[in-house]
Amino acid sequence: MSKKIIEIDASSLTPRELNANLKKLAKTYDKIIVKNPNSMHYLVAGFVGESEIEIDGSAGYFAGTMIDHVNLNIKGNAGWFVGDNMTNGQIIVDGSVGDGAGQGIYGGTLVVHKSAGARTGEIMKNGTIIIGGNSGFMTGIFMMGGRMIILGDIGEDAAESIIRGVIYVKGEVNSLGKNAKLEKINDNDLKELKETLSKYNFDLSNEEYNDFKKIVPESKRPFYGK
Amino acid sequence: MCGIAGIVYKDKKLHNIGSDMTDMLDALQHRGPDSAGYAIYGGNNLKKGEYILKIQVKHQERLLNQVQDAINIITPIKSDEILPSIGDSYVYKCKIELEDFKDLKPLISSVDAIDDVIVLSGTHSFDMIKDVGSVLDIASRYDVRNVKGTHAIGHTRFSTESNVDRYHAHPFQTYIIQDISVVHNGQITNYWNVRDPLERKGHVFETFNDTECLVHYIADKLNTGYSLEEALKQSVEDMDGPFSYIIATPQGIGIAKDKLGLRPGVMAETDDIFAIASEETSLSKVIDTKNIEQIYPGEVRVFEI
Repeated sequence: MSKKIIEIDASSLTPRELNANLKKLAKTYDKIIVKNPNSMHYLVAGFVGESEIEIDGSAGYFAGTMIDHVNLNIKGNAGWFVGDNMTNGQIIVDGSVGDGAGQGIYGGTLVVHKSAGARTGEIMKNGTIIIGGNSGFMTGIFMMGGRMIILGDIGEDAAESIIRGVIYVKGEVNSLGKNAKLEKINDNDLKELKETLSKYNFDLSNEEYNDFKKIVPESKRPFYGK
Repeated sequence: MCGIAGIVYKDKKLHNIGSDMTDMLDALQHRGPDSAGYAIYGGNNLKKGEYILKIQVKHQERLLNQVQDAINIITPIKSDEILPSIGDSYVYKCKIELEDFKDLKPLISSVDAIDDVIVLSGTHSFDMIKDVGSVLDIASRYDVRNVKGTHAIGHTRFSTESNVDRYHAHPFQTYIIQDISVVHNGQITNYWNVRDPLERKGHVFETFNDTECLVHYIADKLNTGYSLEEALKQSVEDMDGPFSYIIATPQGIGIAKDKLGLRPGVMAETDDIFAIASEETSLSKVIDTKNIEQIYPGEVRVFEI
């Protein structure tokens, strides 16, 4: 049976009206395409359910915040805090994103094909974030779990005060934050990287995979002792 | 919050930049509903030594005559008009000529000394347009869409501490050097540490607004031999607090962002245009945003023509 697809024009709607419409349409249609998003803030905020939503352009701040099980594709760029606090599902951004991408995610996968701003994955608790380009200042600050894969360079004070989790970096590591240490990847890491990146169509040679290193916490209790 | 925007046409020719900036600012209206303003460069078409003064005058009998007398004592008014305005005051615009730029600030001070009168701007190579209200209302009130220029900056204001009025709308300028203006999103938290040494050097502050302090700081640096890029980089070291701000001069525009990156800024560039804004939605009004770049914490970007 073919997918039931519908387009919705966002140009004359407020974020609240658009998000309410998305929830209604998802009961009838398998895929919803949002036309003329015009970098609107709060797109698809709080959407719960296994729907496929495509943003035909760029999104503003907090795109896909608090979503669960949605398959969201943003064809352009996204502003600050894309995927904030998502619990499941996936967000694919074809372009670049602003600061705080994947802030506090509990689960799911956020993929950004180009670069990200500062503080990517801050206080994330689980889930996966993949950045196809560079990721800025204090990426992974107060990270409490999950994994990040950065294919470009990572900015200064990487993984500041990281508690749990891992950040794989293919490019340059400029400087590490407190409680962060740099390690070589092992065979299990390499297998995991290949599986994850090929799933999202990142085509890397074996030589390129050898460039990866990982940032992990030095201590699991850095502030309060044993 | 506040929204900031800047645009430069690289060919140095006149374009419909008033219309461009109106669209960019309208897209940032949600970031600041209190007031909005523009500094539009390159389209004034004034002779050397000529300046445009814009003066806010309270609706009061004979007050305008006092203003005109104060100016005419120093230099004859060459032409003038009253701009359509709202509220209990109006904007009086006049053209004057001075032998030396250094004579401009004393003239402005003598006009400012009149009660219920305040000089909004004194410009040679740019047009300052600012007022309270929405972007589209202001654009319509001052016919901004028909103002042409080579480059421009603009602002939508969400006020924090200073008054909401025409004077406190951005941009701000200083008369330490000619034709420099600033729009600002954020707070300078070491305001007095920055202002105090500038006042000791002779800078005269008209307000307690941190944006005014910024433009004095940059003007002081340019006056002592810094390039715009060097001045902006030094400001990132010297200023505390969350900020991103755009400076405009007759040569171009530049943005600086605080070291922690607590205020937004994105940019895009083509062969024809260099543009900066708080959000992509503003850039998308004037440029293809497929390849936008984030302004990173502590980063400075400058484009001069």
